[in-house]
Amino acid sequence: MLKLEDVSVRFGGLVALNNVSLSVGTNEIVGLVGPNGAGKTTLFNVISGLVKPTSGRILFDTHDLGSMPVYRRARLGIGRTFQIPQPMHELTVRENLVVAQRFGAGKLDSVKIDEILEITGLDDKSERDASSELSLTELKSLEVAKALATAPSLLLLDEVLAGLESVGKRHFMTLLKSLHERFSLGILIIEHDLETIASLCHRVVVLNFGEVIADGTPENVFRDPEVIRSYTGAEHA
Amino acid sequence: MIELVLQALYSGFLQGGSYALIAFGLALVFGTLKIINLAHGELVLLSAYIAYTVESRMDVNPVFAIPFALVLVCLCSVLVYYLLSFIRKDRELNSLILTYGIAIVLTNALLMIWSADVRATTSPWLQEALVFGPLASMRSELIFFLVSLILMGALWWWLARSWYGRAVRAVASNREAAKLMGIDPRLTEILSFVVAGILASFAGVALFSYGVIHPPLGEALTLKAFTITVLAGLGSIPGVMLGSILLGLAEALTVTFASSALQDLVGMILLLIVLFVLPNGLFGVTGGRG
Repeated sequence: MLKLEDVSVRFGGLVALNNVSLSVGTNEIVGLVGPNGAGKTTLFNVISGLVKPTSGRILFDTHDLGSMPVYRRARLGIGRTFQIPQPMHELTVRENLVVAQRFGAGKLDSVKIDEILEITGLDDKSERDASSELSLTELKSLEVAKALATAPSLLLLDEVLAGLESVGKRHFMTLLKSLHERFSLGILIIEHDLETIASLCHRVVVLNFGEVIADGTPENVFRDPEVIRSYTGAEHA
Repeated sequence: MIELVLQALYSGFLQGGSYALIAFGLALVFGTLKIINLAHGELVLLSAYIAYTVESRMDVNPVFAIPFALVLVCLCSVLVYYLLSFIRKDRELNSLILTYGIAIVLTNALLMIWSADVRATTSPWLQEALVFGPLASMRSELIFFLVSLILMGALWWWLARSWYGRAVRAVASNREAAKLMGIDPRLTEILSFVVAGILASFAGVALFSYGVIHPPLGEALTLKAFTITVLAGLGSIPGVMLGSILLGLAEALTVTFASSALQDLVGMILLLIVLFVLPNGLFGVTGGRG
């Protein structure tokens, strides 16, 4: 479904991504891990169109994304969440989803909106102001709900569990598993908690200094000496 | 004395309606693009001169100029957007320079076409006094106050209920997140300029119907719109109406009890007081993105 071929991003002299190639299949959950500054969020920005790659190709289904603008990628089926929730101020929770559905999916389906509200646990908060009346867990749920409303086939989740307490984390683990089952989504998720990645993902890709250093099942990847070195330092490998 | 106060409040209230028409356009463009269109006052003035031309050449009520003003002013407004789209870096800052340049060009174009003479309507029907007890106003003041209320209601409906109005609010709230929701921000930006043009068209005809116009007036109009937008709180569309009426009242009371020479000064003083006491304006959005 998603395929990156030798994608590089340079910001002046800084190489943020260097010849990154990876893929996410239909209905596959892929974890994207790596130390801080490895280029994970830059990779999300490149896929969603917020940053243009310096070189390389990004293919989504049969489309070469090239310089396709962000909003057209969203309409094509690439949903994305931000690490820091970005709700639409002055719009209610439901309005956030309805606008995302109208423009992202190109149709209106109130049954689907109700289903998304229910699965994300926001059904009793649907008329609340999205900017001021939600907790952090609810804001993160709204972030996922907004992306779901655009009817994506691929979901890019940027550290949705970061900053949450254990209850919130459990809520999200359940949420991600159930939405994967119900909506048949491909998911690429950035997460620092390796236990979460191991229990959730079919495959893990490890980035370090902008390069892919491992790609495989969680069991194999977390035993890879280079991956251990990148996380803990050479002396522990 | 009480009659004088009531009359001043009434006049200021009616004036506030027209100010709202001018200020909403500026606030809407600021909301979606985060830029201040310094040529907005000149667009209002262009509409006023179209009203003058229609009245003087066709010998009809200037209200009939509204369709012509809508076409020309909206075209000019979209042209301003087109020129702004060439800015690639530091749009917030560079747009100030560009729109100020456009304002100078427009002012000089108005001077070339209509000369520097002061113009006012000659329509006795528009200037006729309507008296309600101790309160008096020109018919045009009352008509355009009602027009302003209707347009504000329509604008409120559009922003709150229509899809593209909601998209405009979404882009104003968070541009990047709006794009990820499938919203084309350029479309909402053009729409904002078109709506600003529509409001400027009505505001210009209103201005000509009960005031006097001359080419340098555009700058003062932009300044009033900016004052109201900041008074309301940058990013607060609902506050613009109240800010407009507040400015109208302050100006009318100043003219009545002090001097008309201090009319523009009072707006600036009001602005300073609000900024000192309520830095986010009367209805300012205190929260940022995320």
